[in-house]
Amino acid sequence: MPSTSTARPNWLAGGLSAVWLVVVGVPILSMIVWGLTTEQAFRDAGPLAVPQVWTLGNVTEVIDRGFLDYYWNTAVVTVGSILLSLVLAVPAAYAIVRSKSWVAGASFRMFLLGLAIPAQAVIVPLYLIITEMGLYDTLIAVILPTVAFTLPLVILILSGALRDVPRDMYEAMTLDGAGSLRILLSAVVPMSRGSISAVCVFVGLTAWNSFIFPLIFIRDESKTMVTLGLREFQQEFAVDIPGLMMAVLLSAVPVFLLYVFARRWLIAGLAGVGGK
Amino acid sequence: MTAPRTIPRRTFLAALGAGATALATTSCSDDSNGSQAAADLDSAGDPAQASGELDVWVLQEDAVNPVSRASLDRFFGGTDVKANLITEPNESYRDVLQTIIDQDERPDIFFNWGGGSIRSYVRAGLVEDLTPYLEEDSEFKNAFLQSVLQAGQIDGAYYGIPMRTMQPKLMFYNTALFDQVGLEVPTTWQDFLDAVDAFAAEDITPVAVGAADQWPLLMWFEYLTDRLGGAQVFQDIAEGTGEGWAHPAITRTVETIRDLVDRGAFGDAFASVAYDDSGPLLSDGRAAMMLSGSWEYTNFLEDAPGFVTNSLAWGPFPALEDGEGDPENVAGNPTNYFSVHADSPLKEVAINYLKQEMASDTYVQDLLDVGDIPAVANIETLIEGHEHEEYFGFVYAMAANAPNFQLSWDQAIARPQAQPMLEAMENVFLGNLDAEGFVQANEDAAS
Amino acid sequence: MGYVLPAVVFFTVFAVVPLVLVVVLSFTSWPGFGDIRWTGLDNWERLIGDERVRESTGITLALTASTWLTQTPMAIAIGVWAAGRQRNRAVLSTIFFLPLLMSSAAIAVLFHRFLDPNYGMARDLGPLIGFPDGNILGTAHGAFLVIVFVSAWQWVPFHSLLYQAAARNVPTVLYDAATIDGAGRWDMFWRITLPQLRYTVVTSSVIMIVGSLITFETVLLITGGGPGGATRILPYLMYSAGFEAFEMGYASAIATVLVVVATAFSLLIVRFSGFTKMRSTLEGM
Repeated sequence: MPSTSTARPNWLAGGLSAVWLVVVGVPILSMIVWGLTTEQAFRDAGPLAVPQVWTLGNVTEVIDRGFLDYYWNTAVVTVGSILLSLVLAVPAAYAIVRSKSWVAGASFRMFLLGLAIPAQAVIVPLYLIITEMGLYDTLIAVILPTVAFTLPLVILILSGALRDVPRDMYEAMTLDGAGSLRILLSAVVPMSRGSISAVCVFVGLTAWNSFIFPLIFIRDESKTMVTLGLREFQQEFAVDIPGLMMAVLLSAVPVFLLYVFARRWLIAGLAGVGGK
Repeated sequence: MTAPRTIPRRTFLAALGAGATALATTSCSDDSNGSQAAADLDSAGDPAQASGELDVWVLQEDAVNPVSRASLDRFFGGTDVKANLITEPNESYRDVLQTIIDQDERPDIFFNWGGGSIRSYVRAGLVEDLTPYLEEDSEFKNAFLQSVLQAGQIDGAYYGIPMRTMQPKLMFYNTALFDQVGLEVPTTWQDFLDAVDAFAAEDITPVAVGAADQWPLLMWFEYLTDRLGGAQVFQDIAEGTGEGWAHPAITRTVETIRDLVDRGAFGDAFASVAYDDSGPLLSDGRAAMMLSGSWEYTNFLEDAPGFVTNSLAWGPFPALEDGEGDPENVAGNPTNYFSVHADSPLKEVAINYLKQEMASDTYVQDLLDVGDIPAVANIETLIEGHEHEEYFGFVYAMAANAPNFQLSWDQAIARPQAQPMLEAMENVFLGNLDAEGFVQANEDAAS
Repeated sequence: MGYVLPAVVFFTVFAVVPLVLVVVLSFTSWPGFGDIRWTGLDNWERLIGDERVRESTGITLALTASTWLTQTPMAIAIGVWAAGRQRNRAVLSTIFFLPLLMSSAAIAVLFHRFLDPNYGMARDLGPLIGFPDGNILGTAHGAFLVIVFVSAWQWVPFHSLLYQAAARNVPTVLYDAATIDGAGRWDMFWRITLPQLRYTVVTSSVIMIVGSLITFETVLLITGGGPGGATRILPYLMYSAGFEAFEMGYASAIATVLVVVATAFSLLIVRFSGFTKMRSTLEGM
């Protein structure tokens, strides 16, 4: 509740927050501590104590098992998905907001209904389509459905922002003789920078975390993404808990760095996804 | 190994009018592998008389792949046949084979697990029947362990030639813990029960089992059913003959397992244990016994070499005093097989390759060197002097002397029934299903 | 304007066509290779008589209900609290939102290890929460609670964020007026904050419910649908039928049920809270 309401401490909310702090903090702290010790030291200390040996050796171990390839593939999918999303959605949102034709209105309604399609549920026909297109076992097979299933929300976010662009501005530019493409690139894109950030965050995180698409569409180990790589590690490391914890930790490092250096942007983007 | 693959199922989509234009633009056919059409047919199977490319599909395994490669080079070296060894990771092998088996990129020779793993392909006419070749050449047939060869039969015919290690399931023991309670490693069921009670009383988990992954439970069902009712019981289940799941031996198996769980044979948290953690329970001295595949030895060597030297023992599944099954019967993965694609233009050459190479001394020796125990007859002399002679000799003898080598149930029955069966087994262990419920669940899945 | 067409075509090929195809495939038999055969109503007759489908539907609904009932109050409480602007709140919220940075797969792998009775914390922490042997994942209710808990751990931060943003937008004048009336903090929460958050509740609930219907990685990586099928939710059953048993036709029938349930839920919430209001919130995003 806004601080203006009262100066009295809010014991209930504070208490709940303390509980949540423990719930979130303990697993994350354990992961970090366990990931920085050796298998033997971990076994000697047990899961609840602070281990006696500290090492970065698990990092090498995880990288030796091909983690850098997984990073690279994940990065390709993430960047590819973001770019394709923007290329498709920015013009579409612009058309939806500006055009008076029934096509634009119908498209918007289609995307609205598309919000409710669960991607997992159509994985079998997607598999059929992907194999049919000869895309099986390529990173493109992950990018295309990822973009498709984020498109409805992306278009909602962008068209919401474009509606806020003053109508006079479009008209003024049109009078100046600017073509629609120029209006799009020189006015619309800069003015909806905030929503474009939100789209990047949303599509980026969805792609970064994608699991079922690479699970079904990728078989070559050298094309595996970080998420699926963790599943491999779960079996390979087995009782080498420190090794596995380091892998989990490393899987989150890029997003964590983003959080550290661009926290406001990331959080604003995430909040923008749900609407304000 | 990653040739682009297209599946010309376009007619189906086109019939639906579903985005056909979008699909057509991106679909491209793969002509790089036109060799199969160009290959010369050669009935004698002499590689020197043939030409073309021969694709051999195997699991991606660092140790075994070079052995296969060397074997192909021996047979095809200097001929006009280019033999490609195409490797696929274990997790995706079935899926990829499934996708490709009826396409232009299909393999000529392919690795498989026999049984349910190729039954649908056999029935679709995609796998060459090898029975005539084995029948006309007794030397070829007798080169392999007959129990293993038979385990690969489908509908009474042979479709696979054993190509690598056998993986019977057997008992592993931690002798340090047996010393601690003053017992010998069990040979009979009564010994086993005594050991269970003794360890339970000492608060040591008697038997490690990774129940959270379901499939490790299968081994207990396989052996108990076999020991109690004989090999025919499951044979009937797999083929849908006789009493099927309703056989009294299944009921007794379920009751025996319930009794073991109630005695605390598997400890109190077995249902939370993953398979990967169950081996370490034995080598860590937290559990005294374990039923697992022969591959477990390799895991122990890798993770706990000291344990292998000091306190690892092994033996067959205990004999049940009042059971009808032969105590020499074995359950497990009899072996992996090479099958030949029925549409391969180099079929005869491929079969001749299997005939010449799969039981050759060089091939067998190469496999032994990487830790595989092939299902080839009379290789005791080759095993002698091996680094792990004791273990290898035991496993080989176990398989060689087995009157029946039962393929793992989940591989032997139709795939759609496997998951419900494993789940029902887990529910028996958890105490959620009694014998009647177990039989019912499996019959429901089969209908 | 042609600007909308690429997006529409793309969405049609990869989302609308699959949606139609999943229904079509439910009337066929297809093992993932070779021909697709029409089998009429076979899959549907089997589905109606399939005990496992019934169980899975029940589990899915129970999981969805539990998810909503646990996550919504927590997310509102944390979101409203985090909307405050004191210094310690900023620091604490930084920690609160950490789970957002991890993938479902990473979170599942993490908790799977924590919950191992021999090598994880389950034997030490289990007794505190009613599992004396540390056998949490091995019991039906334990495994179910784990899935609910892990989902909450992962998703409460995201929903808190939505509520935080919404709570910050509540006009201060409303609170000022109430303070003059002598209303307490509790009163103000019920009379001002919560009503002001109602559109966010709808948005968050739709995301939460549709999301929990398709919880998949968490189940696959932590329980594998076990023990004994206790967490075998519909998406897992569909995956298992399609990509383990290679009965793509039957998997499609299960998927169709899933689509229908998900759509019904979204429509119900939207209707319950007023369709036009919902649309205007969405459009106003």
